[in-house]
Amino acid sequence: MHDVAMTMRENSPSPKPPPRRGVGRFTLDMRQALSPWKQAGILAGSLAIGLFISVVILDIAGIAPFDLVRELAGVFNADSLRSVLVRAAPLILVGLSAGLAFRIGFWNLGLEGQMVFGGIGATAVSIYGIGPESTRLVVMGIAASAGGLLWVMLAYWMKVRFRVNEIISTLLMNYIASYFLLHLLYGAWQDSKTAFPQSTQYQPFERLSDIGYGINSALLVALAAAVVAGWGVHLSRAGFYMRFISANPNMAKVVGVPVRTISIAVIALSGVAAGLAGFVNVASQEGRLTQSFFDGYVFSGVLIAFLSRNDPIIVVIVGFLLAVLFVTGQTLQVFYQIPFTMVQLIEAIIVIAVASSEFLIRHRIRWTR
Amino acid sequence: MNDFFINWLANVPGTAAPYAFAALGLIISERSGVLNLTAEGLMLVGAVAGLGASLTMGGHPLIALLVAMLAASLMSLLFAGLVVILRVNQVIAGLSVVFFCQGLTGLIGTLANWQNHPIAGLKKIAIWPLSEIPVIGRILFDQDLVVYLAIPIFFAVSFFLRRSMLGLKLRAVGENPAAADAAGLNVSLYRIGAIVAGSSLVGLAGGYISVVSVKLWVTGMVGGRGWIAVALVVFARWAPWPALAGALLFGCIEGVVPRIAAAGISVPQYLMLMTPYVATIAVMMWVGARNRGYQGEPGALGQPHVREERR
Repeated sequence: MHDVAMTMRENSPSPKPPPRRGVGRFTLDMRQALSPWKQAGILAGSLAIGLFISVVILDIAGIAPFDLVRELAGVFNADSLRSVLVRAAPLILVGLSAGLAFRIGFWNLGLEGQMVFGGIGATAVSIYGIGPESTRLVVMGIAASAGGLLWVMLAYWMKVRFRVNEIISTLLMNYIASYFLLHLLYGAWQDSKTAFPQSTQYQPFERLSDIGYGINSALLVALAAAVVAGWGVHLSRAGFYMRFISANPNMAKVVGVPVRTISIAVIALSGVAAGLAGFVNVASQEGRLTQSFFDGYVFSGVLIAFLSRNDPIIVVIVGFLLAVLFVTGQTLQVFYQIPFTMVQLIEAIIVIAVASSEFLIRHRIRWTR
Repeated sequence: MNDFFINWLANVPGTAAPYAFAALGLIISERSGVLNLTAEGLMLVGAVAGLGASLTMGGHPLIALLVAMLAASLMSLLFAGLVVILRVNQVIAGLSVVFFCQGLTGLIGTLANWQNHPIAGLKKIAIWPLSEIPVIGRILFDQDLVVYLAIPIFFAVSFFLRRSMLGLKLRAVGENPAAADAAGLNVSLYRIGAIVAGSSLVGLAGGYISVVSVKLWVTGMVGGRGWIAVALVVFARWAPWPALAGALLFGCIEGVVPRIAAAGISVPQYLMLMTPYVATIAVMMWVGARNRGYQGEPGALGQPHVREERR
């Protein structure tokens, strides 16, 4: 097209430039490829912008940037570091849960509901004293996995049987799960000693304890899950199938990829991870079911999965960083009366900044006259 | 028993109004081909802005509702910029905006100390001779101004989408943006306009909850109604009048929960509070079982339009 226009202009007797119209306009070119360094640069730049906006908002809310730096640095003393490591475990697990489901294009936004049923499953084992004391924690973990699995499979069943969009169904099921939790905590499972809406404290052998160096065994559960998921995604045949399914499900089906089986397995594992997140959360922190132990984990899971590009190994890193943000947020809540929703706001700003940066990675903007 | 039904049904227009306005706003923006999940967040923005306006400016509730609409429209520019200009995945962008708004409104409400300050709210207007009709009078003709306004607003939007040139162009952009672009329509502009205009109605829905229904700001007070509105749009097959019918259905369901407790019938309280969400899922399942195949969604729903990117 371009060449034809050029030759035509050369052949014409007087090559007059075409009249200029207006000042020009932006055009977008699709980039074919961009070097990893430039990609990293754009990503870092957008993260910096997002963090800058967050700092400005915190400043307006009454925390001077200097105080913020001090509080962030304060995270790295032994005590806070311990709570970061404890916090990281459920965050890594919800990140894995979201990342696995997103990998095959299933928008599992029911992480909180699955955490709730994970917590309920584990607590049921504790309350009814199922199994001997030595294996109680294992039974609790299995019950929690089953809880998360059932809750996510319900959404999957509604999707394949009745074509109910899983974005809406999983989100609504979070509300249903949280009301069911309240029904238990204000009813049959209420702690008779305190009369607060919380279950009776677990026995010592039903809690995930520290294994030294301030590392909680909850973290081991999360890291083990990440290693298994990393193996599955990067090395196993199933991981290859998952990439195929997300790229083109119809093609995958035609060439004989077991789409249905892989989907069911991945979504089930996603539910198991979220259920385990509920279990490690209650068993490592409060040691009992509370009415809000799952608060804010849906978007945290989405954020971790999005920033790590659904890669289970990077999920671990992002999970730790988010745990730092969570613990700092708690400090700010206690000492500066900043509501904890601030953490959610910063999470959203970071996701928006990084999502916007993909535009620059995929397009080249040019000014043409 | 008769009283129970009249009290219940007289409340339904008030409980249904937020669903109706939110779903209508979403229909406008989704008809332009943008999958809009922001309702939950923008309703919160409308709620906090409306209540803040009536607390600080001391104005008429109608002014507070206008502020709510404006605030939600302004906030929707963020979503519009993300999905229309930057072509961010519409699900990720929608979710981010919802959580951004949840964080922001929680922060503003707490820092400005707007929690738990009740306001007067909007008076009910009885349309006199009609309001004296037994049973029907109280249900239909003893409501507030916004509920009465819902009917002309629905007529206007329905007319706009189905009969006006601009509405036809908007639907063309949503059905096939490439063809609309080739025909000389500015796809981005139509989509941004649809998002902003629709979001003002979503803001009105949120403002109605805080200023008219509850008369109080509580963090996260929208409580999932935005997601139910998203489901309502699917149920209504992206058409205004079925959305109103669906909103009335959910208004009935939401309105009956406190009535049953007030009537002294002993039921598990928290299980009752689940009903709107369970009902939504049940309705979605019924819709899925009824319509095999095409569900009436705009052809390009959820797909960004990039002129330079040939598909």
